[in-house]
Amino acid sequence: MNETAIETCTSDPGAAASPADAAFRAALAVGRPGPAWLTERRAAGAVAFAAAGLPTTRREDWKYTSIRNLQRRSFRDVVPASLPDEARLASVLIPELPLPRLVFMNGRLLPGLSHVESPGLDILTMRETPADAGFVDLLGRLATVGDYPFAALNQGLAEEVVLLRTARGTTGLAPVYLLFLSSPSAEPVAGHPRILIDAGEASALTVLEHYASLGANENLTNAVTELCMAPGANVTHCRLQDESYTSFHIGGLFAHLQRDASLVSHNIQSGAALARLDLRVSLAAPGAEVELNGLYTMNGRRHVDNHTRVDHLAPHTRSTQDYRGMLDDKSRGVFSGKAVVHPDAQKIEAHQSNNNLLLSDTAEADTKPELEIYADDVKCSHGATVGQLDAEALFYLRSRGIGPEVARALLTFAFAETVISRIDIGGVRERLESDIAGSLPEGGLLRDYLRSPRPDLKDA
Amino acid sequence: MLSIKNLRAEVGGKEILTGLDLEVGAGQVHAIMGPNGSGKSTLANVLAGRSGYNVVGGDVTYDGQDLLALAPEERARAGVFLAFQYPVEIPGVNNAYLLKAALNAVRVHRGEQELDAFEFLALIKDKMKLMQMDESFLNRGVNVGFSGGEKKRNEILQMAVLEPRLAVLDETDSGLDIDALKVVANGVNSLQGPTRATVLVTHYQRLLDYIEPDFVHVLSGGRIVRTGGKELAIELDQRGYDWVDEAVNA
Repeated sequence: MNETAIETCTSDPGAAASPADAAFRAALAVGRPGPAWLTERRAAGAVAFAAAGLPTTRREDWKYTSIRNLQRRSFRDVVPASLPDEARLASVLIPELPLPRLVFMNGRLLPGLSHVESPGLDILTMRETPADAGFVDLLGRLATVGDYPFAALNQGLAEEVVLLRTARGTTGLAPVYLLFLSSPSAEPVAGHPRILIDAGEASALTVLEHYASLGANENLTNAVTELCMAPGANVTHCRLQDESYTSFHIGGLFAHLQRDASLVSHNIQSGAALARLDLRVSLAAPGAEVELNGLYTMNGRRHVDNHTRVDHLAPHTRSTQDYRGMLDDKSRGVFSGKAVVHPDAQKIEAHQSNNNLLLSDTAEADTKPELEIYADDVKCSHGATVGQLDAEALFYLRSRGIGPEVARALLTFAFAETVISRIDIGGVRERLESDIAGSLPEGGLLRDYLRSPRPDLKDA
Repeated sequence: MLSIKNLRAEVGGKEILTGLDLEVGAGQVHAIMGPNGSGKSTLANVLAGRSGYNVVGGDVTYDGQDLLALAPEERARAGVFLAFQYPVEIPGVNNAYLLKAALNAVRVHRGEQELDAFEFLALIKDKMKLMQMDESFLNRGVNVGFSGGEKKRNEILQMAVLEPRLAVLDETDSGLDIDALKVVANGVNSLQGPTRATVLVTHYQRLLDYIEPDFVHVLSGGRIVRTGGKELAIELDQRGYDWVDEAVNA
């Protein structure tokens, strides 16, 4: 089957020209160790990737995002993982988070820096326990290779796969901190980490995926997470992407929720030259609910694209999406959010909002909130805005003696704060707040503000 | 303290104030009354420096300086305060921060020491008691989710904290029930003094039962057409604004 895949690759005339494509095909052709089921799964990924090729703007779901610059890089596949410089590691690590912690370097797990002992939680790697049923069950179950070319690539190259599993009824666990580092090297490298989460019935789990760089690089991170939630499971998933401004970040988060399961997703994108996340949630049984919070902050000529899709497959399910963008210079932000209400999914609620703040005349926001409704007794709303700071609010602050520079910084910060303040994971909110303040031209003026308690927006 | 001479201002190309004169001395309370569209709110907004309100003629002098030449924040620091008719909601910025930043901006301008968090908290607690506001207000976003009455109360709280020399209240009484009106009036009254002045812009006489004005002015067609004492407000209440227009035109 692997052989067939490679055949198909080389016979595709269209995309074979690009260095990235050639590099990925070469990597897919390399034989990798593993049990038969895994070889088959990889082959399925390779076939799907070969059939689709790297996405172009001709695809409807990639219409606003060109990967031309990514295509030009010949990404190397495997680099021996070296231990990061301690001072550099300390500069990106969020120290307030307790263990367990897993640290990856260019897609490879660094066992020496990882602490996987966690009572009540299984943290398994496919290298050590490839026969565990969890891997067999979950790998590729939600990230459908036919729909997502990068997920297909990730599956075709699957080696570094980590499984997080909670048993039925387990609660009170410490957040799991997954730190994905990307480090500069002579040639750009590609990492394809895969995270599988199996949240047991009525268990509760918080997972932080933190993508960061140890210095400027042109690497590619192509990460895929699959999240299966049993009835009544409760998961908070937080994704921080703060990679080098010259790098490429492609991500996928695929979740499946059973009866009364509840997922909160925070997706913060501030790094990379090109960042893309596909986020797909299936609400498969009554009572399942999801909250998607997103914030993207871009400057320079950087580009971010968040694609969300929530499928309401059952009645009495609920979804809310609140994505916000802050775009400066010549950056561009894309939000494409879809809620699909399937036939017979009555009495559901689906709300979507996307607000964009343009901090320069040359920044661009493309927003496409969509509802597809095939049921008739539903409560849905969607809305999008693109604009500048609220002139009324600016005048209000100035009329109280606050100078225009501070007022502007404050309102910009407050725009992001509405998303950030919902993140209740030790140290994460504070890290993001100081990052955002630091990114504002007048951010220094916010020192006082950052020291004072912030409004509790849950009341609002 | 405040001297307005032949003030003409337009909004969206339309002249709203058509030659307004007003003298406000220290220690005085002036009520500006008038029907809808007479220019009451325009006057309040011109004094605070809101953009979109273009002064096309006349002078406004505050404490001997040209008020119209000052930016909104400079006016605030110099002691001019506008209580908004429609206070804006600012999610993500909390009341405590706004109040402290505003107060310290004013204090620095006056050459006083900035207050630290502890001193500020002591001060604010007193003022909140005066306005009968719960301390939980401090950590909420500015005006976010506040009822109409709470927003107005919050305006007067800000005023109580900043202790302006000239307070301009733009229809602060509108939308208040009688209990809230009393609280607001009590807050305003507590700030009166021989070195301070208040300009109340209002449509109804009701507020003046609780805040006693020294002068009542009737605004019509962008000018003050009649000035009197408290009794003028009562007469207006009984006979309506048409009566003034008729008297002026007669």
